[in-house]
Amino acid sequence: MNENVIDRSRDITILEVLDRVLNKGVILTGDIVISVADVDLVYLGVKLMLSSVETMEQLKSGKHLSQSNG
Amino acid sequence: MIYSILKAAEDPGQLPAVLSGMRGISNADFHEVSYDDITAVVCDVQKASLVTDRSATMDYAGVIDSLFKDFTLLPVRFGSVMESEGEIRNMLERNHIEIQKNLLKVEGKVEFGLKVFCDTEKLKAGFNIKPEPEAKSAGKPGTGQNNSVYMDYVKKKLAEYRLEETVLSYVNSVIKEITECLTGVEATGKFKKMASPANIIDALFLIKKEMTAELIRVVKDLQTRYPDLNFMLTGPWPPYNFVDVTIS
Repeated sequence: MNENVIDRSRDITILEVLDRVLNKGVILTGDIVISVADVDLVYLGVKLMLSSVETMEQLKSGKHLSQSNG
Repeated sequence: MIYSILKAAEDPGQLPAVLSGMRGISNADFHEVSYDDITAVVCDVQKASLVTDRSATMDYAGVIDSLFKDFTLLPVRFGSVMESEGEIRNMLERNHIEIQKNLLKVEGKVEFGLKVFCDTEKLKAGFNIKPEPEAKSAGKPGTGQNNSVYMDYVKKKLAEYRLEETVLSYVNSVIKEITECLTGVEATGKFKKMASPANIIDALFLIKKEMTAELIRVVKDLQTRYPDLNFMLTGPWPPYNFVDVTIS
């Protein structure tokens, strides 16, 4: 197994930990208090970040279409 | 802040002994808040100081992991705070039945994650989908260059659709095989298909602790059988994904 595979596995494992800790388990609605440290924003809610990227891509596509039509 | 809710141990001195060697967020001491046979492991925290960064969340996961070695527990999502011990005790009382039911479900069990990766483009190329046969258009109105462009578009979309269907059918066949291979492990499983173009299967299993070696053996066996796929097994985890308790 090469180092890249090990590094990638380690990264994925960290993301797996964070996904579980931030999104899963017993959920107390309304009582969650989270401040976000700027430097580590990328680690907060990976799903949320991916959704944001997808939304941005969709917005870009929409903009592109309207420019083509215009 | 509440870290986890656990089933009281037979030895009442066990939890204090475990907690005495651990520190919570902002270096705070842990203490227990109990109701009947369930206990919440908590530590005092100033809301303003509760910052979500990599270090804090990894430490949080580490505490739950340590407790999980000795107790049956339900992890609580990071950042769950209540004003006072009285409120926590009331919460435990109000949700006692649901919490007990979940503790019973996960007792003696561990969670594993199984991600299956592949080069989807290579996989698609291997399926060798044939193009649609030419449609007969002679003598019909609207033939010509515009119609040809339209037909090309339709054919392209149809081929893409058929390819996606074939990939999905392949993913379903792999899931079926995984499920069959895991019969002996008695796993409760959850499958997500095509989590991303590369991650074709994202599965979660809840198994008895003593079945861990057998699960690893089965996944190794699957990896040998599917050399073009990359199986990534993670765990054992506390049962984060098999807890079904929402408290409002």
